[in-house]
Amino acid sequence: MTDPLEPRKIFGVYHLSKQYGDRMVLRDVNLQVGNGEFVFLVGPSGAGKSTLLRLIYMDESPNEGQVIVGSFVSTNMKRHDISYLRRKLGIIFQDFRLLEDRDVFENVAIAMRVTGETNYNIKRRVMQVLTQVGLYHKRYDRPVTLSGGEQQRVAIARAVVNSPEILLADEPTGNLDPEVTAEIIQLLFRINSAGTAVLMATHNHELVKNFGQRIVFLRDGTIEEDRRLGLAAFKKDRIGVFQHVGRTAGDGRDMREDR
Amino acid sequence: MQESFSTLGRHKAVTFLSVVIMSLSLLVLAVFLLATDNVFTFFERTRQEMTVFVYLSDDLSLSDEVSWATVEDHHKWLLSMEMVEAVEFISKDQAMEEFRNELGEERSVLDVLEANPLPASFRVTLKPEYRDKVNIERFAGAVTTMDFVEEVNYGRDFIEQFASVTRAFLYVDLVLGLIVIVSSIFIIANTVRLTILSRRKSIEILKLVGATNRFITAPFVIEGAFQGGLAALLSLVLLFLVFLVLKGMLPDLTFLGLSKILLYVLTCVMLGAIGSFASLRRHLKL
Ligand SMILES: Nc1ncnc2c1ncn2[C@@H]1O[C@H](COP(=O)(O)OP(=O)(O)OP(=O)(O)O)[C@@H](O)[C@H]1O
Ligand SMILES: [Mg+2]
Repeated sequence: MTDPLEPRKIFGVYHLSKQYGDRMVLRDVNLQVGNGEFVFLVGPSGAGKSTLLRLIYMDESPNEGQVIVGSFVSTNMKRHDISYLRRKLGIIFQDFRLLEDRDVFENVAIAMRVTGETNYNIKRRVMQVLTQVGLYHKRYDRPVTLSGGEQQRVAIARAVVNSPEILLADEPTGNLDPEVTAEIIQLLFRINSAGTAVLMATHNHELVKNFGQRIVFLRDGTIEEDRRLGLAAFKKDRIGVFQHVGRTAGDGRDMREDR
Repeated sequence: MQESFSTLGRHKAVTFLSVVIMSLSLLVLAVFLLATDNVFTFFERTRQEMTVFVYLSDDLSLSDEVSWATVEDHHKWLLSMEMVEAVEFISKDQAMEEFRNELGEERSVLDVLEANPLPASFRVTLKPEYRDKVNIERFAGAVTTMDFVEEVNYGRDFIEQFASVTRAFLYVDLVLGLIVIVSSIFIIANTVRLTILSRRKSIEILKLVGATNRFITAPFVIEGAFQGGLAALLSLVLLFLVFLVLKGMLPDLTFLGLSKILLYVLTCVMLGAIGSFASLRRHLKL
């Protein structure tokens, strides 16, 4: 069944249904994402995009079906496991979700602090990631003093600081103007080209249709279309992406740390 | 640890408000303790004053030498008992003297008496551990059978009442104490809710980046304990003011001793920690 030429699946949802009260928000959704793949999840407002992401990072549990993320299986999760799952994921949102009372450095560092990492390693790695998102010089600033784009870059730095294999993005450009939006998407591509699988939800099809990436269309809680790319297109597209964003955003450094 | 104290510093206003509210609710506990402590002190003092009067038969003419020797013997016999701490002999004359003093102004009524009608007696103090109803009755029973004894008086009614009053007080006090402690936890949990809700967003973010429940709760529990301690100190200051006011009406009132103060502060520290924990569980489904 599985195409051996396709990338290894890194996470997926199987026959997933979610209900709030009487309302079916997701209905028999099947979606698998391969290692290092970039997927846009597109659908109108209320389609269930955020709900699907919440089920993937297991903020909610499904009424039916299963979520599998790496070695974590939604039907077999203990409370404690959810914390460990979250450390394997990077998550960013439209509203950034930064700690207002801490500076940029601490906002990124917190994702490592919760894992019990040493101060030395935290400092080293956070500085590295902040450099990569171009905010090293603002490391002691408070989030409120930053622009929207900068805040989202802090959030991205926090999301990738633990070198996750998966990055979930829920409408990450929803609050940003077009120019900054392009910058953020370029940054996500850069993270992706370093090997992190990205699933980005957006209601804006126009924005993403020309990137040549796989696009999954969600409407009324069901997957309407899964516009996959063949292997050839995938490779060609990768090159296209590099041409598209590589010149401006790429600084030649990987977002993922080799450990 | 570091996390806890840094968040404390970041929310001075909320912390201050919590501590003030907590200290007011803890004041109820403190007043309760002060009252309990004083009532028990009063009971203890009353118990100390419990003495047994052993009245001697009047046919012992206490002026002659032989009888004096007998009195000495009886005195020694009483003192030899394990229960007995002290025995004081009160002669007929001394008894009359005391009676006169008690009468005060009206002592002239005694002038009409030809002879001294008051018996001589031994005033017996039992050792503290025997100053209860059962042992006093045993002692009285044993002494009454002696032929030199006319009557033994130990305020039977008083002792019975005292026993039942202390027992009743103990039960009421325990129940009240439990209510006060539970409601303190409740109030503290509600106060801590302020702090928790003001940091709800931060807590959600911590959960998002994979913080364990322990990582999230530990600083709050430590902070709750810390606030409980601060609130305890503040409530002690308030208690002292209350004490000063009450002292005007009840001069015998004493303030809590050092060991009780320490116990109280420790209890408040625990209540703060438990209140925080309970509140986190309820409001954050941690
Ligand atoms: N916690 C909840 N309780 C009840 N209904 C909910 C809840 N969360 C989402 N819904 C409903 O589920 C539906 C899908 O919501 P969801 O947020 O997943 O949509 P979305 O595709 O992310 O939309 P948008 O583009 O506006 O963010 C909506 O109708 C919403 O009202
Ligand atoms: Mg949404």
